[in-house]
Amino acid sequence: MTDPVVVCTWSAVRDQPWEETEAALTLGRTVSGACGAELHWLVVGPSLDEGPEIAGRHGVARVDRIDDPKLEDGRPDAFVEALAQYCASHPCRLLLFNQNFATRLVAPRVAGRLGVGVVMNGTDIEVDGDRLDVTAAAYGGDTRVVYGLEGPGPCVVALLANAVAPEPTEDAGTAPAATELEVDLSGVEERIRVLEAAHTEGPRLEDAEIIVSGGRGLGSPENFKLIEELADVLGGMAGASRPLVDEGWIDSSRQVGLTGKITRPALYLAAGISGATQHMVGCSAAKTIVAINTDPDAAIFRHARYGIVGDCTELLPELIRAASEAGDS
Amino acid sequence: MRIVVCIKEVLDPDAVNAYALAGRLEIGDDDKTLTQTTIPRLMNGFDEQAIEAALRMRDAGTDATICVVSVGSDLTVPLRHAMALGADEVVAIEPPSSTGDYHTVAALLAAYIRSHGGADLVLCGRQASDDDQGVVPALIGESLGMPVVAIARDVEAAGSAEAPAVRVTRVTPDGDEIVEATCPAVVTISNELGEPRYPTMPMKMAARRVKPTDVSATDLSLDPQALEPRVVMTRQFVPTVKGDCEFISGDEPADVADRLVRRLLEDNIVRGRSPR
Ligand SMILES: Cc1cc2nc3c(=O)[nH]c(=O)nc-3n(C[C@H](O)[C@H](O)[C@H](O)COP(=O)(O)OP(=O)(O)OC[C@H]3O[C@@H](n4cnc5c(N)ncnc54)[C@H](O)[C@@H]3O)c2cc1C
Ligand SMILES: Nc1ncnc2c1ncn2[C@@H]1O[C@H](COP(=O)(O)O)[C@@H](O)[C@H]1O
Repeated sequence: MTDPVVVCTWSAVRDQPWEETEAALTLGRTVSGACGAELHWLVVGPSLDEGPEIAGRHGVARVDRIDDPKLEDGRPDAFVEALAQYCASHPCRLLLFNQNFATRLVAPRVAGRLGVGVVMNGTDIEVDGDRLDVTAAAYGGDTRVVYGLEGPGPCVVALLANAVAPEPTEDAGTAPAATELEVDLSGVEERIRVLEAAHTEGPRLEDAEIIVSGGRGLGSPENFKLIEELADVLGGMAGASRPLVDEGWIDSSRQVGLTGKITRPALYLAAGISGATQHMVGCSAAKTIVAINTDPDAAIFRHARYGIVGDCTELLPELIRAASEAGDS
Repeated sequence: MRIVVCIKEVLDPDAVNAYALAGRLEIGDDDKTLTQTTIPRLMNGFDEQAIEAALRMRDAGTDATICVVSVGSDLTVPLRHAMALGADEVVAIEPPSSTGDYHTVAALLAAYIRSHGGADLVLCGRQASDDDQGVVPALIGESLGMPVVAIARDVEAAGSAEAPAVRVTRVTPDGDEIVEATCPAVVTISNELGEPRYPTMPMKMAARRVKPTDVSATDLSLDPQALEPRVVMTRQFVPTVKGDCEFISGDEPADVADRLVRRLLEDNIVRGRSPR
């Protein structure tokens, strides 16, 4: 029997919504099915109340859990060591992560520690005999590259957010009880000391239901106020494309995209944004995209549900008015 | 303090974007490379910022030598640029074959650092704008047993001359985090660091005469197994985006705005009552 496919999630990582865990389990199940292996789920850190139900819905054959006080504060050295020990005692065909801020560093470090192949930005995996063909986004999403990783494994893949739609199995089974596993982290000394912890001020773009974003088409930093005002009237948050952050118009916590926030709002309204793939990576999961751009051929219209060809500095004040009138009615 | 900055030469991402935005990005008959041969090659933007981070440390008074290293072929242009910016030494490592992968690149860089004077600080870009993988710095860190501080907007020298350390401001999803790592360490630089400087004309002129130090894989006496690729690119393609945009127009911006808001209300995307 082929070694199992292991989906690894880390409960200390706050920005890992259930949808993403289920997306990874969905892809994991497809791969395990195609190579005749079992699907296992490794939970690192405190156990999760929703865990058993989700495991049942995705045909997980075995749930393993690793916990240790050193894993609770979310620092990487302990996590990497725990995973390396796990892989040494539990051979696997594939170790699959959701890609997020933490795993962007941890996944390649685990691969480095084990001396095995790693692919980030994964969007799909196909099984071809002994080889896994991993599709990954490149050039910010302008292209896809297919990477071949020869078996027997293991190999490490991080799945890009929003790349796979979560799909539970038809026949939901009973979830297996989690097996508690021991790891020895006594030798791990975190080599990076936190002097000042990050603290979010207020709500996060990642959690926003409505986002109004501005791009270079706004023309001047003052016009960003229009973005903030419209966001406010709609009960949402303001976002931005990278040039605005690079120019210092707005704080980097507002940057949407490949090297910014990956968002999934119900409404994403983009004003004066061209629609470069590096930006779209951060908002293409929005249920509805509305674009305002002076250029009828702007790429953003290919992604938008509703489009307005026009000057956003003229349209935004009117939208603020129209939206507040709707709010008053 | 010896700072090694790892740089990669990539296709100009703005030019690649321009082709993609115009729907004209194409892959050649080999199923792997972009057909647009006119796209210029340049230093990965984050790597230019990594050099900038090193220069700022030196400007701030840190006694630092800056060595810029790259794995690839035909690297004179980006390495001269590094020299003009103020690097003390530039090094080109010729890969043993074109089939190498990130592991091969990381193995070569780690071997170079190990055998050529070590490093107190290894600076990398957060990711290369062509492959976007962001794995090479992590692999270097693992190979050299150094901690990896990822996604920095600021790096400062800390500690003492005998026990150097770095204080790094990281850009996290929850805001900035300030950490300290004992050297040697790997730090990856993100765009929040800000604009890199331009070389001055005299520096550019002087750099023209510089030849990079060439190092080959054999000079690094690496175990051939360490250079075996683990990940092989088999294909590249351009994904298609299906568009179904409905354009909303009107005589005046006010009409257009009213129409759009009505549409969003009908679709239940925004609520009719004031949310606050
Ligand atoms: C490695 C890498 C990572 C990157 N990461 C990110 C990222 O995370 N996020 C990100 O956003 N970008 C990122 N970028 C940059 C990205 O490639 C684009 O350059 C950027 O998104 C463009 O921002 P923009 O659309 O605001 O500006 P532009 O591309 O300049 O577009 C401005 C748009 O506004 C329109 N316009 C002009 N005037 C008006 C007006 N009055 N009213 C309405 N429309 C108007 C124009 O027609 C144009 O379409 C990255 C790039 C690289 C290389
Ligand atoms: N061929 C290379 N030569 C030198 N440094 C590299 C090379 N490839 C990657 N790097 C470094 O590793 C970083 C991340 O690259 P990547 O993992 O390919 O996304 C880059 O920003 C560089 O600092």
